[in-house]
Amino acid sequence: MSNTRSHTSPQADLKKSTVKLFLAVAAWVGSTALMSFGPSAFWDFDTAITFLAIVANLILGVLMLYSFFRHLKNMDELQRQTHLEAMALTLGITMVLTVIYGALPQAKVVASAQPANVLFVIGMSYILSVITLWLRRTRE
Amino acid sequence: MKNRLKALRADRDWTQADLADRLHVTRQTINAIEKGKYDPSLPLAFKIAAVFGMPIEEIFSPDTK
Repeated sequence: MSNTRSHTSPQADLKKSTVKLFLAVAAWVGSTALMSFGPSAFWDFDTAITFLAIVANLILGVLMLYSFFRHLKNMDELQRQTHLEAMALTLGITMVLTVIYGALPQAKVVASAQPANVLFVIGMSYILSVITLWLRRTRE
Repeated sequence: MKNRLKALRADRDWTQADLADRLHVTRQTINAIEKGKYDPSLPLAFKIAAVFGMPIEEIFSPDTK
């Protein structure tokens, strides 16, 4: 029923998976920056190198997802439930706000909708949801 | 769900951290269970029962409000 593949303590496993997740996220962010700015800054829009950068970004993205799932598995059940509820909240908040944001250019309130803003909403919603849900359950 | 975790822990002179170590969960999880803010999963409830050497129903009972 519990995690039986580990021979170390759950806290040690969680610390290890946190470090691995941090490294995976850092590698993905780095490859995203390279994919975005590399063509103009480093290889003068060479299509083959850009293609390689995209493939590298995709592979690192999959590795980041894998690291995140491993990290979730190493959490204890309250931590895991908190993160899963935060993900559900984030999905709802992002969906509602993205629909509104997507309608703004048509209403000529903003010139154009930028995908980076949606990513910002996802990140902030997730962080705030995790903190709020965790504090609600664990405040002394 | 109501539980007697705090009383049983006190009987054995265990801290929340002691019990958390025995159950391989965080101290915050023990605190949340004791305060009724979180109901443990069935596997964790079985582990708690095993740690205290008691049947689950002697530790947890339905909240009949």
